[in-house]
Formats: sequence, C-alpha cells, structure tokens
Amino acid sequence: MNALNATKTKTASRFTWPAWGWSLIGVLGVWLCIIAVGGGNPGGPVLQALSLAPYLVLVSIGQMLVISLGPGNIDVSVGAIVSMASYVSVAVGALAGPLAGLAAAVLAGVAAALLSVIAIMLLRVPPIIATLATSLVVASATLLLADANRAGADAALRGFVNARVFGIPVTAILVAVLTVLIALALKRTMYGLSVAAIGQSTLAARKAGLRVTSTIVTTYLLSGAFAGLAGGLLAAYISPSTVLGDSYLLDSIAVVVLGGTLIAGGRPVVAGLWTGAVFFVLLSSLLNLVGWNLGAQNVLKGLLVVVVIVISSRVTKTGRSTLSRFLSSLRREPAATPTPADTPALTKENTHA
Amino acid sequence: MTTLTAPRASGRSSVPTFRSRATIGAKHSAPGALSLVAMIVIFVIAVANQPGILSVYGLTLMLTAAVPLLLAAQAQMLIMSVGDIDLGIGQLVGLVTVIAATMLTTDPLLGVLALLAIVGAYALLGLLVQKRNVPSIIATLGMSFVWLGLGLQLLPTPGGQTPEWLAQLSAWRPDWIPAPVVWIVAITLVAWFLAKRTRFGTRMRALGSSSPTLSRAGWSLSRTRVLTYAAAAVLAVLAGLVLASQTQSGDVNSAGNYTLMTIAAVILGGGNFKGGQSFPVGTAFGVVTLSLITVLLGLINLSSSLQSAAQGLIVLAVLAGRVITERFVR
Repeated sequence: MNALNATKTKTASRFTWPAWGWSLIGVLGVWLCIIAVGGGNPGGPVLQALSLAPYLVLVSIGQMLVISLGPGNIDVSVGAIVSMASYVSVAVGALAGPLAGLAAAVLAGVAAALLSVIAIMLLRVPPIIATLATSLVVASATLLLADANRAGADAALRGFVNARVFGIPVTAILVAVLTVLIALALKRTMYGLSVAAIGQSTLAARKAGLRVTSTIVTTYLLSGAFAGLAGGLLAAYISPSTVLGDSYLLDSIAVVVLGGTLIAGGRPVVAGLWTGAVFFVLLSSLLNLVGWNLGAQNVLKGLLVVVVIVISSRVTKTGRSTLSRFLSSLRREPAATPTPADTPALTKENTHA
Repeated sequence: MTTLTAPRASGRSSVPTFRSRATIGAKHSAPGALSLVAMIVIFVIAVANQPGILSVYGLTLMLTAAVPLLLAAQAQMLIMSVGDIDLGIGQLVGLVTVIAATMLTTDPLLGVLALLAIVGAYALLGLLVQKRNVPSIIATLGMSFVWLGLGLQLLPTPGGQTPEWLAQLSAWRPDWIPAPVVWIVAITLVAWFLAKRTRFGTRMRALGSSSPTLSRAGWSLSRTRVLTYAAAAVLAVLAGLVLASQTQSGDVNSAGNYTLMTIAAVILGGGNFKGGQSFPVGTAFGVVTLSLITVLLGLINLSSSLQSAAQGLIVLAVLAGRVITERFVR
C-alpha cells in the first residue's frame, strides 16, 4: 500500500503518465486510421466498438482482479464459463423470465468458480491447474445444456442488449457504471486495498492482519460471476454456442495487460480495461476494413501484446509509470533490474501460503 | 577433523554418499511417484474393463496419442524448470502440423527453414524474457496468437498432405513390442539425459532456483535461458511432426488443449511453478496417466459430454493426493 501512497504524492508534485495511457494512444491511433481509410461519420466506429467492448470489459474485470492477486494467479476458466452461462441464461430465461435467466447465469458462474476455489484453497492446487480443471467440468456442463436446450434468447433481453441511448449502447453505459464502482471499491474499500496488498506481498498482507483467504476466495468468485454475467448477456446479443466464450480467455488476459495492470500483481488499472477492450475491438474492425483475414489479424494482435509488455516492463518497474521514467528507460538500463527468478519466489508464497 | 581420516572425511563431506543421495532423491520424486501409482491404478481398471488392451495392438492403440503429447510436455518441463510457463505451446504444435502438411510437402527446403525459424523465434523469446524481464506467461500467450494466425494464414481449414517420409514414422509398428512404448521410453531417456546428466541441465535448474548464483559462477544467464527455450522449441517442433505423421494432415487447432494438458502433466509428475527442478520421468508418468484417463473414460462408456468433466475431476483428485503425500514426506 506504500506504492499507493507514493502514487498519490507523485500526482500532487508533477504530471503522472497514467498506466492506461499507451492503450489510449493506441485507441486514438486506430480510430484515426479507421476514419482515414473508411471515411464517413467519425463517431460511427467508436459507437460500433462500444457495443462489443462491454462484454470483453466484464470478463476482463474479473481477470484483472485475479491477476492483481499476484504471480501464479490467473483464471483460465472464464471462456468456458461464458459459454455455459449463455445456455443457462437462455434455459432459465425461457422458464422464469429474462431477469431470472441473467441471475441464474451469474449464479452458474459463481458455482463454477466455487469449484476452483475449493481446489485452490482446500486441495492447494495451483490456480492455473485448478481453473483448468474447472473449465473442463464446465465444458461438460455446457455440452449437456446444449443437448437439452435449443431455444433462443428472450425477446425482452434481446431488446435490452440492443437498446441505445443517444446512440450509445445501454450495456456500455451500465458496464461503465460497474467499472466506476469497481474502481471505487479498489481505492476505498478494505477488500480492494487487500487485493493490491496481497498482490504486492502475500506474506506482508498476512502479517498485517488482512483477511487473505477470504479476499482470494471473493476475487475468484467475482471473476466467475462477471464471466457468467457476460455469458448471460452475450446469449441475447449473439446466441448461445459451445464455442461462444473460447476467445474470451486469451482476449481478457491481453486486455488486462494492454490496459496497464501489472501482470506481477499488486496494481489493478480499471480504466485500462476500457481502453484495452475498445482498442482490441477497434483494431479488429480496422483490419476487417483493410481486408486482412483472421490469420493476419491474430499475428498482429499477438505481436502487439508482446511489444506492449516489452515497453511496459521497462516503464513500470516499481508499480508507477511516469513519462520521465519511460524516457530514462530508453537511455540506459535501470541499475537494479530484478531478475525473472525473483518472481517465482513470490509464486511459492502464493501457492503454498 | 584429524589428518589421518582427512581424505575420507573430506570425501564424505564434499561428495554426497549413496544413502543421502537416495534419501534426497526419494523426497524429490515422491510427488511424481504418486503419479506412477495413479497411472498403474488407471491401467489396472482399464485392463479389467477391456482385457484386449494387454496385447501389443491394444497398447499401441492406447498410447499412440501420448507420444506427441509427451514431446510437448517435455518441452514444457524444460521451460518450467527455469521458472517460466509456456502458454503458446498448443498453438505452436498446431502450427508445426500445418507446416508439415503444406510447405514441407510442396517445398521441403522452405519447410525446414520455417521450422528452424520457429526455433530461432523461441530463442529470441527467451532472450526477451531474460533481458527485458518480461513475464514469460504473457510473452508466450502473445506468441500463441502469432502461431495461430500464421497457421490460419497457411491453411485456413484443416487438411493438406504430409510428406511420405513422415507417414513412414508412424507406420513403423513391430509385432513384438508396442511402438509407442519404445517412443515414450526413448523420449523420456533423452529428456532425462538432457535435464539431469548434462552441465546444461544443471545450469538450467540453477537459473530456475538461484540465478544470482549462476551468474556469479561465471555463466551467462541469457545464454542459459535462450538455450532452454531453443531446446524446448526443438521438442515442440518434433511433437508437431509426430502429430502430423499420425493424423496425416495439418490443423492449427489440432493441439489446442496441449497448452494446459502439458502443464497438468508436468504438475502431475511432481513439477511446480517455482522452477529449479526438472522432472523428465515424472512428466512421462503424468502424460501417460492423462492419456490413459482419456482412453479409460471411453472404455467405460461414459457419455462423451461428461468425459472432460471426469478428466478435470480426476486431475484434481490426483493433485489432492499429491498434496497429502508431500505433507507425509515432510
């Protein structure tokens, strides 16, 4: 939490380059390219991106919270949960109305995350394997649900996800409100500060008397819940499918990293989720516009992720990222570069604590 | 120490005795031994269900899919022994099958160059992870998009034709011994020799457990990590070639589940995310266990929808057992 205080004093003294700044530059750059290539209404592509981005942001919120818990923490079950929740939302929605369907989708996500939590906490399985096992179980559930259910999404829910206020999708507004709440929770509540503290040092957080176990449990359950909600909404926006969530696993991790959240944990950047997600969606539409196929798009997407982490790893050594730090990083090697071997030492604490 | 017994005493203190080596070895391999137990239990259940498995033909059928997975898992094991994780290996193996089914047939020279370029890219990735302190988990994740994209670019839909010589590789089926068993033992021996018996293997583990010690001993950290990544890439390329020779076609998505399966196999075989240890033999047990689980679930007529759930739960159960044995050993 020292890092948090340090950031605050820094802001007072001089301009701090926000961690999500790079992805914002990316968003603006891609946007300008789209306008230059496609022409037409400049706001059009952004509004279009805002209809797809909220789902990616929802899944990424959970992924960001989990990654912020520190090395070794990752949720690889989000994709499978999105697919399963889409079927749950439709099946329950047909019986008890769209709201009950959405609630059931969220609960299904929480139930799946509960399995991960049991494996991580009681069986002491590393999170990546625990959530992998969960995703296998969830994939089975998805197949069973897909066999039993051939219905489409509720008309009311379909209307809701396609509704727009002044051209802006309602889902984007609601998810934006949700991200603001999450940002406040991370800055102001005991839970949010605990997430950052655990990510910085689990041992120190435990010694300081924070409730480490319940924070970790809550975080994984939240990740499941957000993936469930995204799946429940996507069922109406696209349609339920066994491969609906497949791309969300890698995309959510990429968005979290592009947004400036420290992959080593301890520093969640909520605003970066939006810039990261909008950047991803915009880039996709730009490449479609230019006529790149899916293969070439993936190559560019992957190289971008690698380039961004190479830049950000130089800039954000201590959890802050200032412009001067970036400029100095271009000039010379930082004096004390932590070796990658230091990171696994933290993993040890996290997985065995 | 007295001067009279000095040679013996110094001999004892500097070189570990057979007994202390055996004790330490037993402690380190206890988690992997559990995987061996799980493997035997699952094998016995499978044989009880379907005695035909015990024939050469039955074993060949059962273990064929384990061979490419084992090669990929040993690659993952090398990466994990330096404390990194490779999240792109599934797509990489898929890309190699695509290259095998397209370029390697139409233009062998270009195909071989492409495979060498993959090894070069991995060496570069290792350099990036070491020099720029980039988390390997994200770097390899980013590269997985690249492998997938290249694969889709070369071969948008599964298909293609593998070269004749590659098909010969999996056509070799002797009557007296199941071919996959020969492959599995050979691959494991090579990985064991590389990781446990060479100086390079020792340096690799040193990089994972204590990189300052390694650099103070005068070794280059970058060179060690680059060589580790290159060795892993060679194994992954071999995995892709073997998979392509079995399926006779290329599909970039054919090995998508390898990424997580290889990590699960290494963990099952006694590995961990800390780095500093390598478990070539345990990894082989882990791979065979995972492959046997798949076959067993097919044998007991479990509905195909439920198979992945059963697989996940069995992996969790074995790992839970491993935690209990670890406490017992301590």
